[in-house]
Amino acid sequence: MALWIQISAGSGEPIYAQVVEQVGQAIARGELAGGDKLPTVRKLAAELVINPNTVARAYSSLERAGLVTTKTGSGTFVSDPKLRKSDGADVNILTERMDTLIARGLNLGLEAGDLTRLFERRLAKYVKTPQQQKEKNDE
Amino acid sequence: MKFVMLLRKEARESAPWILLSVIVLLAIGGLLLRQEARYGQDNWRYSQLSPGQTVSPYMLTRESVLTGPGALLFTVSIGLGLILGIRHFWIPHFTRTWSFLLHRSVSRMSILASKLTAAAIGLVVFLGAVWIALYWYACREDLFAFPPSAKVFVNGWVFIALGLIAYLGTALSGLSRARWYTTKIFGLAFATLVLFVTITQSRVSSALLITLAGIVILLVQIIETFLKRQY
Amino acid sequence: MSRHPNSRKKKTMNETVLETHNLTRYYGSAAAVDHLNLKVPRGCICGFIGRNGAGKTTAIKLMLGLLEPTAGSSSLLGCDSAALTPAIRQRIGYVTEGHRLFRWMTISELENFQAAFFPRQWDRKLFAEMIEYFELAKKRKIKHLSNGQRAQVSLALALAPKPELLIMDDPTLGLDAAIRRQFLEGMIELIMRQGRTVLFSSHILADVERVADRIAVIDKGRLRASCSLEEFRSAVRKVVFTFADSPPAQVDIDGLLHCRRSDKQLELTLVGADDFEVAAWAEAVNALEHHTAKMNLEDQFIEFTAPANRRKLFQWEET
Repeated sequence: MALWIQISAGSGEPIYAQVVEQVGQAIARGELAGGDKLPTVRKLAAELVINPNTVARAYSSLERAGLVTTKTGSGTFVSDPKLRKSDGADVNILTERMDTLIARGLNLGLEAGDLTRLFERRLAKYVKTPQQQKEKNDE
Repeated sequence: MKFVMLLRKEARESAPWILLSVIVLLAIGGLLLRQEARYGQDNWRYSQLSPGQTVSPYMLTRESVLTGPGALLFTVSIGLGLILGIRHFWIPHFTRTWSFLLHRSVSRMSILASKLTAAAIGLVVFLGAVWIALYWYACREDLFAFPPSAKVFVNGWVFIALGLIAYLGTALSGLSRARWYTTKIFGLAFATLVLFVTITQSRVSSALLITLAGIVILLVQIIETFLKRQY
Repeated sequence: MSRHPNSRKKKTMNETVLETHNLTRYYGSAAAVDHLNLKVPRGCICGFIGRNGAGKTTAIKLMLGLLEPTAGSSSLLGCDSAALTPAIRQRIGYVTEGHRLFRWMTISELENFQAAFFPRQWDRKLFAEMIEYFELAKKRKIKHLSNGQRAQVSLALALAPKPELLIMDDPTLGLDAAIRRQFLEGMIELIMRQGRTVLFSSHILADVERVADRIAVIDKGRLRASCSLEEFRSAVRKVVFTFADSPPAQVDIDGLLHCRRSDKQLELTLVGADDFEVAAWAEAVNALEHHTAKMNLEDQFIEFTAPANRRKLFQWEET
């Protein structure tokens, strides 16, 4: 269950952030679907050999981000994508990051069209784009 | 239960040396006595005495059949005392096992007591038993014309007490964390002093008293040093 | 039914299980431990880190009442270290530096010896399972084991009594990665039980980062930091400022640890400065740009404990 999380201790990234990042990735890729149960804090701590408090911290951070919900007594579940709400601050951070990426791309000499294509190719790894969706429906 | 466990550990560590001492004392001491019984000068000399001639006390004490075994007991006792002192209080420094031993759910005094008890059993019980056996053998009238006096018997116990002195002196020096040229040498120096004062005594009672006093003084010092928590 | 000596008492999570008060120990005229004020709350894994000779072992021995302090005091589980009762010692596990055990004993003899001092709480099953997992035969003598195997026995001896407070003195020193991981797993396993606390000293900061949620940093006998790992991780940071001309000669910013300068850049290692303070300073000195460089725990530790104005051992001069 927890095998897809790889902890690298001694890197610049705090361990709880590594857990948050990788769980977030898995949810975004669809490896974890809405309603899936996450391993318990103790189980994940024992499997990854990290402090249970670190796992708890990561889970509560994921919960604050709206990616998971904790039901007392039964565990932590991936929340329904439709119910996830993103607040303005989150979108602002995302916008800033995208600005950085666009600047880097332009510095590398890429055209606007190249960047758009690159973005769409990467996005396809996570979600079906409307175009692909249409092609699928046509089949 | 906890103390028994500690004692078992110390006894097991001391056992080879105690056993070796007992075997040496029993074998060589017994051999000396048998030689004495067959060709002993004393036996021969005493058998040449004419009837009615008085036997000087000198003959009975200094020239006893137990003179040889007694000297052996003296050596073995002090040797065993030194070895046990080193085993109990020096080796843990070298193997760095003090920390493991000292974090026990017993009082610190129990840990010290287990070591002292193991040494006392080795010296007093085992060497004492061998000495009693040798004395009993020397008292057999069919073998020896002139049995050793009680004073000779007590002398043996003085030697055993000197073994304890050697043990405690080594122990105190081993426990002290001071430098060699300062107080660390005190234990061994004091033990040597007691040894010399004791063997120059002409009266066995004063010799016994001096060793017993030495034991008490060393014990007090050892307990104080051990409870000071220096490692 | 097995029961822990203290199981009936209600445990509060904020209770302090280990506390030192101005703990000081001199060897000759040099202080090995210097006015150490350390508090470890119940329920955490505390990494005790410091360089070689920083005083970790001495501090641990003082806490366990094996050494007499020159000044100050300490207490474990609310009991003064100078007078730890047998009942209190029974609740404390201690793994000695280098895993020194009685060499002549076999593993099972050693188990019996150790178990006698933890009556009613010794988990024979756990011990047997661990020894089996380590692929050790119980009748083997300690002196015939390798360093790693001896460490494994030592770990099993420390975990089998399920101590309320486990103190380990550099348990993973010189061990291979697999055995080190077993020690970390052991700590995690123990801490999952309600109310257990672990204090361990270590040089391997990746291990500390992995399992500890608190750290205590000791340097030259003095406690430099005692906080949650997160706090330390965010408190020590390296910020690089870029200037149009040469950087200012005078650097006056709160929490400055080290300062390195090049032609147009200034690299500051700061402790406790937040983003606003950094930004305000950057503006005050007319820096063109500034950014925070990522540091791992090891870098943070080295910067944090390095003497001020330290230079590198080997300096490369570009010609």
